[in-house]
Amino acid sequence: MTPKDKGHETFTSSDQELVLSSLEPEQLAGLKKHLIPRRHLKGPEKFVMWSLRIYLLFMIVVVLYQVWASAH
Amino acid sequence: MNLGPLFRLTQRGVGQQDVVITHEDVDRAHDRVRVSAARAQRGPFSKFRLLWLLVGPGILVMLGENDGPSMISYAATGAKFGIGFFLPFVILTFCMAIVVQEMTMRLGSATHRGHAELIFDRFGPFWGWFSMIDLGIGNFLTLITEFIAIRAGLGFFGVPPWAAVLSALVFLGAAVATHRYWTWERTLLAIAIFNLIFVPVALLTHPHWHSVGHALITWKPLPGFSQDTLIIILADIGATVTPWMLFFQQSATVDKGLTTKDIHLGRIDTVVGAALAATAAVATIIATAPLFVHHMTADNFQGAEFAQALQPLIGRFGAALFALGIVEAGMVASVTISISSAYAFGEVVHRPHSLNLPVTQGKSFYSVLFLLAATAGAIVLIPGLPLVYVVLLVNVVAVLAMPPALVFLFMLANDREVMGDLVSPLWINILSTGVVVFLTLAGILFGISVIAPHAFAFLGGK
Repeated sequence: MTPKDKGHETFTSSDQELVLSSLEPEQLAGLKKHLIPRRHLKGPEKFVMWSLRIYLLFMIVVVLYQVWASAH
Repeated sequence: MNLGPLFRLTQRGVGQQDVVITHEDVDRAHDRVRVSAARAQRGPFSKFRLLWLLVGPGILVMLGENDGPSMISYAATGAKFGIGFFLPFVILTFCMAIVVQEMTMRLGSATHRGHAELIFDRFGPFWGWFSMIDLGIGNFLTLITEFIAIRAGLGFFGVPPWAAVLSALVFLGAAVATHRYWTWERTLLAIAIFNLIFVPVALLTHPHWHSVGHALITWKPLPGFSQDTLIIILADIGATVTPWMLFFQQSATVDKGLTTKDIHLGRIDTVVGAALAATAAVATIIATAPLFVHHMTADNFQGAEFAQALQPLIGRFGAALFALGIVEAGMVASVTISISSAYAFGEVVHRPHSLNLPVTQGKSFYSVLFLLAATAGAIVLIPGLPLVYVVLLVNVVAVLAMPPALVFLFMLANDREVMGDLVSPLWINILSTGVVVFLTLAGILFGISVIAPHAFAFLGGK
């Protein structure tokens, strides 16, 4: 068996065979560093996301107001 | 099956020389070997064996969400409104949770990426950081409430607050000490099942089963239309669907190593989890319904007070079970929520993030996990903190933060570039759109009730 060193650990070739035969390539931790291509948002999608963002910020203000009102 | 570009690596094939394997890969591979062996088996128990190996993230996320503040919300519901509208309503909220969580399980199985990672990669850091800020604030506030529940529950047995917080941190450390996802999952599942402790408590109250059946079928008696009712509605929704659940189940699905072949059983896992959690939630409402019948005010109860109030009705043993249930709910959720935060942090900064990691390789993962929990625990020990108010606030904030989080989920689950043929079918899109609209309307109603209480009263016909 040929040991392959990774950081502080040593893996045997049987470990590597086990990993490659049992896991899908995208499951390998080392391959997850590849970024997924960016999606370009369309107008309606941006509108919905901004609307909900504004909704959330507004509602947080409402909650803070209620906390303040209850405290007084 | 047509899969998205993410799967080109699979089609191209990856040679041994291309890959540097890690500790978490080896552990995950061992788990997958057992799954493959179970799938290849024939016989009456082979399906159950496969199901047993694949369940976990769905049950844990649902029972994890039956956390301290959730159980307190259900207890407050029973004490304030008795048996009626809220029994079927809570079951409806768990149906919403199934719709939402199924998408995260499918996303994790298809992409092998966590939710935070996918949002950052696919929508960019601008929207990614918004999403992370929502998650970070929500998770931290919720963690505080878990420690409140643990403190309150153990307080019933005379445990001082500092000891309660310390025991919760020790529990958290013990839960992840094996550095093995499989062992952690099975241990936590065994503990999480104790959430059903509320069932015997409900039985001890000798519920009027005819009323229970009538409520489940007719949704009656209806509660009055008031801000109190609305807050309980929001709290009960927030007790079932929250942002951390999206991040947790998707990351746990990835960490467990589920693949597209496992999606069907992943759905069963999610449904079983929801059924167990709904049973515990309904049992809690039934358990505290006698307080409503006896006109006992439970507005400022934290958990242990519910147990004390129930003691004359169900005895010391029943009350102790109730208090233990609150402790268990807080303990399990403190683990799942801390881990949800640590997963998301690792995904965003591209640091190792797996429960299969030894401490030496997962320093940032374990540091985030413990740092968050320890800070939340320390806050609970601050004298004079309005703990009850924090609990209510957290569930309301969770509901308000859900619609933006759900839109990311909805878009990812329908992203053919990422999901290929596994995009959401039309019926799931209709249901998930309904959930977003329902949650948004509930939030808007809450806003009206705070800003314009007269208009809110007018809406209710008063």
